[in-house]
Amino acid sequence: MASSRPLLRTARQLATTKILLPVSLFPRHVSTTSSPPSPPPPPGSNGTPPPPKKLKPLTQEQKDFLSSALRVNQAGELAATLIYTAQTPPILRREPHLKPLMKHMYDQEADHLRVFNSLIAKHRVRPTALYPLWSVLATGLGWSTAVMGKEAAMACTEAVETEIGGHYNAQIRELLKMVTEWEAEGYDVSDEFTELISTLRRIRDEELEHLDHAVEHDAQKAEPHWLLTGIIRAGCRGAIWVSERV
Amino acid sequence: MTSPGAVTYSGAAARRILLRPATTVRSLSRSLPTTAARPLTTSTSTLPSRQQTSPQPQQRPPRHLQSRTYHSTTHPSPPGPFTQAETPLLTTALTSHVPLHGFTLTSLTLAARDLSLLPISPSFLGPSPVFRLIHYHLYSTRTTLSSLTAVHSASLSGLSPPEKVELLTWLRLKQNEAIIPHWQQALAVMAQPSHVPTAVKELALLADEIYYLAGDQSVDPSWYTKRGGLSGIYAAAELFMTTDKSEGFQETRRFLRRRLQEAEELAGVAKSVGEWIGFTASAGVNVLRSKGVRI
Repeated sequence: MASSRPLLRTARQLATTKILLPVSLFPRHVSTTSSPPSPPPPPGSNGTPPPPKKLKPLTQEQKDFLSSALRVNQAGELAATLIYTAQTPPILRREPHLKPLMKHMYDQEADHLRVFNSLIAKHRVRPTALYPLWSVLATGLGWSTAVMGKEAAMACTEAVETEIGGHYNAQIRELLKMVTEWEAEGYDVSDEFTELISTLRRIRDEELEHLDHAVEHDAQKAEPHWLLTGIIRAGCRGAIWVSERV
Repeated sequence: MTSPGAVTYSGAAARRILLRPATTVRSLSRSLPTTAARPLTTSTSTLPSRQQTSPQPQQRPPRHLQSRTYHSTTHPSPPGPFTQAETPLLTTALTSHVPLHGFTLTSLTLAARDLSLLPISPSFLGPSPVFRLIHYHLYSTRTTLSSLTAVHSASLSGLSPPEKVELLTWLRLKQNEAIIPHWQQALAVMAQPSHVPTAVKELALLADEIYYLAGDQSVDPSWYTKRGGLSGIYAAAELFMTTDKSEGFQETRRFLRRRLQEAEELAGVAKSVGEWIGFTASAGVNVLRSKGVRI
């Protein structure tokens, strides 16, 4: 039970940020630090056409970070869709009333996968070389936890989404650092990056919503909860580490 | 410390002096030992003063292969692997002298003379000036491919993706036309162990460029098989072209078409097998589920 409190707290904290999300869509308020007391943009600013943006070329480090970030996100969403696909039939056999929930979560993950597939193709990022391996492992994970029971499946979701939420947060933090550096040096921030950040924020919030759903549906009652979530979270971290590289 | 100049020549300051037209350097060249020695003495005593002499050192990244990572649609692209000082020399050598003299130091020396650079300039292109010239050929032909695509956009627009790939590969092969008598020699230089990584990387970048320009959107393992297959086919076609004596290299084009056709058939077979296995496996699982097995 000890581990449930921080999990719930993170989920709740991050759920509050959801309310602030629309604010971040304004390109002038990309940094999170300024979002809570943000005043609305001045009304006169929309009248004149904006001058062409002054953009800084990306450094090799930034390009490396962006490509590994998009690659690992695509691999993660691929794994998520496969986990839910594999979990759905065994769970629904025992708990048919969970059908809307499973469908909702699967649809959101499939949408995330579509987003990252298009981003990867657009930005010419190499997809992960271990694509077949992740497919097999994710299907195996989803199926085996679902066969163990509803609680184990939900614990699996809980563990995965906890890791993924933290992972997306780290990426958003890194992107905001890039953007604030550009702003400090007097460069403009392209729509490419404001859109990327808002997309990542939306996806992170949806992933954490899945975490809440999993906790609501008895994830904490899985038999050796600490062992199950521990193993899955460690596996997730390992997979993220590998996918960032190959 | 037999020749202090030797140490200085390898530095960025010397590179800039020697890749500058000789007319501006001529006044310096008479007193070269003293002018050359000055940056060395300051550089050995204090580091900051050396940085002062070269405010923007033309440092290449450690691996000066332009690595194929995140491609921004809005931000300007970073500079390529060739500095602005090198480009005129390499371009002149490639267009004016390589067709006659091949990928040799002679071509580079003649180009340096054309640009009134010091005759020693080519030796500042790095440890292997000849390979640098070959690399520049690979790089410039690859980067002009996108502008060629714009020129041929009318003929490209009506084609299927495999046909686009074929046409783009052919456009790239045709860029070797002027230098094809010397290409075997260049391939031999590229096959030297220290040059293989750059040469292979360029080949991979070319295959990626062709698929990007052809509008390929694959984001699964076929990303790898497509690019790997095209790299092999392109290298084979290039080699075929060096011995092709037919009019307008039509034999090479036929060779290219046959290889791409075979690759496509192979990919089709692999896809069908994969689909059959996937279908059979899911059908088997569903049969077991319908029998009441709890899986």
